[in-house]
Parts: sequence; structure tokens; C-alpha cells
Amino acid sequence: MSNSIFDAKNVNFAYLGKYSALRNVDINIERGQKISVIGANGSGKSTLLHMLDGLIFPDEGTVKAFGRELAEDAFNDEDFSKDFRKKVGLVFQNPDIQLFCPTVREDIFFGPLQLGMEKKEIKKRFEELITILGLGNLLERAPHQLSIGEKRKVAIASTLIIEPEVLILDEPTAGLDPLTTRHIIDLLVQENASGRTIITSTHDLHIVEEISDIVYVFSQEKKIVKAGHPGVILQDAALLHVNNLTHIHAHSHNGKIHIHPHSH
Amino acid sequence: MGALSFLKESIFADEYAARKGFLQSLDPRIKTATFFLFIILILFIKDIFTLLCLYVFCLFLTKRSDISLGFFLKRTWIFIPLFSLFIAIPALFSVFTPGEALAGFNLMGVKLVITYQGVFSAALFVIRVITSVSFVVLLSITTRHFELLRVLRIFKVPQVFVMTTGMCYRYIYLFVEIVENTYVAIKSRTGTKIHYKKGQHIVAWNIAYLWMRSYRLNEEVYSAMLSRGYRGDPVTFNEFRAGIKDWFWLLFSAAVFVVLFYFNLQIKN
Ligand SMILES: Nc1ncnc2c1ncn2[C@@H]1O[C@H](COP(=O)(O)OP(=O)(O)O)[C@@H](O)[C@H]1O
Ligand SMILES: [Mg+2]
Repeated sequence: MSNSIFDAKNVNFAYLGKYSALRNVDINIERGQKISVIGANGSGKSTLLHMLDGLIFPDEGTVKAFGRELAEDAFNDEDFSKDFRKKVGLVFQNPDIQLFCPTVREDIFFGPLQLGMEKKEIKKRFEELITILGLGNLLERAPHQLSIGEKRKVAIASTLIIEPEVLILDEPTAGLDPLTTRHIIDLLVQENASGRTIITSTHDLHIVEEISDIVYVFSQEKKIVKAGHPGVILQDAALLHVNNLTHIHAHSHNGKIHIHPHSH
Repeated sequence: MGALSFLKESIFADEYAARKGFLQSLDPRIKTATFFLFIILILFIKDIFTLLCLYVFCLFLTKRSDISLGFFLKRTWIFIPLFSLFIAIPALFSVFTPGEALAGFNLMGVKLVITYQGVFSAALFVIRVITSVSFVVLLSITTRHFELLRVLRIFKVPQVFVMTTGMCYRYIYLFVEIVENTYVAIKSRTGTKIHYKKGQHIVAWNIAYLWMRSYRLNEEVYSAMLSRGYRGDPVTFNEFRAGIKDWFWLLFSAAVFVVLFYFNLQIKN
């Protein structure tokens, strides 16, 4: 059996047929890998992740998942659809989109209930996740009343409870403080160590090293301009600079502030 | 701005439902069913004294549910002017309710006479409205909105409808926030004084923007549901439990209903 989980070949996609969002994308992801997709805003990261989650389909080219081509009619097959949704989980970039239930508790239960998982089993996982993520006292709250960090944790819980083989996360640490970021990265690394394939999009270069075996760099032209080991990519200052990924840091030396580009 | 926060507070506050009072402790299904009985009763009863008793009973329940009477009265009497303006006040006058004159005065050459019968039916109307509104408000503030939605589901309101209502509710909040934030953003950029014409323009733009947002949002939320395995028929837990207290309350309410209903029939004859 092949170890390939996703295999995308020459994929092109445009929203409404005119707003180009992916151009000639090739990507191959194997079981157990840590993959990250980096790129500036609007470079096509979310679009790619939605495609890998079977929510949109290529205009040109093909995406195969577990050896089968992802296309609209594949998802009309209930067995395939259920199986795929159990195997692949996506944490959306905007937790306000992902969390649509009246309470945190219901949101976390939503996925497994739709997928017809055993109720006892669901409750057991639920308790575990609540403890790991420290969500115990938020359960009866409405998701929209939470802080951004809490929302993200709930969104992650609502996906992890499905125990997907492949966990896709769209900018999971955007807008979080360093401690919460740390917490989430640790969790991802741990989930990967226990065998899950992790695909993360981000433009936070601090976290790339830990969450990637392979990094894909998207350009403003919605193309993958480079793929490689994080060590190599992160050293390539010119590449990062051209693709708007270098962050500008302000440092203060002897009371004087000066600003210089900085890539970790 | 004030109106927005009022809206937000009055629709989205779960604070009272979270308190540990009598009504909050009841099973939402039984509570809803009994309140439904009370409201039917109120619509049928024609005796002011009985209605007053029910109203006092409602206030008593309010007190027992750890809700301040001042707050509750404000929240409920707000509805009275709305209803009465259109129905009760015209009924006062002889033109609509003929009868013995109680007082008369001239208004712009038209002689208006207030009749005893008019006063009586206006009073009956007001007490009926305030009592039924009070029961509805009391139910809605002592029950978390998602529990109410679940109750609807149990009473065979179609799931899709309930789910949609729940989501609307959820996204109205988001919209209120967007409008609020936009307003704050505009204020911080332009100062408090926005030229009237410009202000209008901003409002129009904002509404168009909201429409677009809601369209996008709708699509995106749908894909978020698909992603977690939704296939057009939401599956949910039902975890209500009714205890002895609930059954006593049901029995009590049913008894009140039967007795008052019978009593009311006697009066008519
Ligand atoms: N629903 C949509 N309709 C039209 N264009 C869209 C939509 N979503 C994204 N786009 C466009 O597609 C491109 C890629 O967007 P996206 O994948 O969201 O980028 P990223 O996640 O890297 O910020 C952008 O140019 C964006 O404007
Ligand atoms: Mg994105």
C-alpha cells in the first residue's frame, strides 16, 4: 500500500471562474508527515487547504486523496464522504466560521454526532480533550463570547474529537499570545508524534521549524515557488523577502531604536 | 450605539438563565409546556380579578427565580404602549365601545366620551397583555436560548428550522459586532461629527457590505459544516432530565389550568 495521502497535480483554481487563487500547484503529502504552507495574505494558502479537505475542487488538474480523485460526485457517495470526513479534519482560519453552535459543548460534539460515532466513545474523547486543552469552564458559554485564543482552542477541539488521520490547520496561531501559541504548537507536535499527518498554513516564521518536515512557499502569484526542508527555506533571506514573509523587527541598542528585517 | 448595546444585552444575555432560582431549575420541556398552558388560560379568561391573580403569581415566580422585580417590570411594561396605542386607547371611547358616559371632552370640535364599558375593556386588555407578555418574557429569560431551541425540536418543529433559527441568532450577534466596530472605526477616524450626507453614505455602504458579508458567511459556514460531516440532517444529543419537582410543577399547573378554566366558564353563564 502506498504511503501517499494527498497527491495534487498541476492544479488550477479560480473563485467564480475569475479570481485566480491557485496556479499550477503540485504537492505530494505522505502519511505521518508534518507539512507547512507559508505565504503572504491572499497567496492561496486557505484555498489549497479547502481543496485538500474536499470543499472545493480543481478547475484544472487533479487532487487525489488516499488514492481516489477528489471531485464533487465522489462526495455524493455517502460511504466515501463519511470515510473521508472521518479521516481528514480542517481547522478553519476564522473560528467564527467554524463555531456555529449555540454552546461550546455542542460545537465540540457536532462533528462526531454527524459522523455517527458511538456516543460513549464521543464522551470519553470529549473529556480527554477538555482536559488537554483546558476548556472545562467554557462548555456552556457561547463560542462568540470567547477570546480569540479560546475560540481557536475550541475550534481545534471540535476537529480533533473526530480523531482524523490528517489534521489540517489554517493559521492556527494567528493573533495569539506567545504562551497560547506554544501550547498549540506543543499539541500539534504531540499529535504528529502519535501518527497523525499535520498540514499547517502560517506566515509566522517562528513556528515553521517545529511544525514542518517540508515547507511549501506560496508567492503572490498563487504559485508554489519553492519546497524544501525548513532549515534551507528559513535561511533563504532573499526568497522570504521577495514573498513578503520577512518580518521587520524593532530592536533597541543602547537606548537607540533601530529597525531591521529579521528572519528566523 | 446605545440602542445596539441594549439589543445585544436583551437578546443575548444568558445571565438570568444561569442563576439558581426556581424556574431555572425546572426541566425546559416541562417549563415550556406549562407556560404554554398559562398563556392559553390568559387568553380565555375574561375576569379581571383572576387575571390579576395570575399576574401576581407570575411576579411571585419572578421573585423566586432570583430576578429583580424592577428589572422585570421594566422589561415587560415596555410592550404595553406598543399594544395599547393601537388597540386599548381607541376602545376607551364611545365611538368604538358604546355605553354609559364616564367623562367627556372636546377635542378639536369632536366630542369624545369615555364610557364605563370602554374603561373596563381597556383595563381587561392591558392586564391580559401584561400578564401574557410577562409569562413569555419570564420563560425566555429563565431558559437559555439553546435550550428553548431544543425544546422546539422536541415539540416537533422541524430540525432544519430550529437549526437555522439558532444560527441566525448566532450570526445576528456577529453582525451587531461588525456594525458596532465599523461605527467605532468611523468615529475614531473622523471624530464624532460626521457630516449628515456622508453619514448616510456610510450607513448605505455598511448595509451593502453586510449583505455581502452575510452571503459569504453563509457559504463559508456551510462548508465548515460539511467539513465536519454534515449531510443535510443535523444529529444532536437530547439530554433533558425531569425530576420529581418537575412533575409536581406540571401537576400544579395543570390543576390551575383546569380549575380556572372551569371557573371562567361558570362566570360566563
Ligand atoms: N470566496 C472568495 N471569492 C473570491 N475570491 C476569493 C475568495 N476567497 C479567496 N479569494 C481570493 O483568492 C486568493 C487566495 O486567497 P486565500 O486562499 O484566502 O489566501 P490566503 O489564505 O493565503 O490568505 C486571494 O486573491 C483572494 O482574494
Ligand atoms: Mg487564509
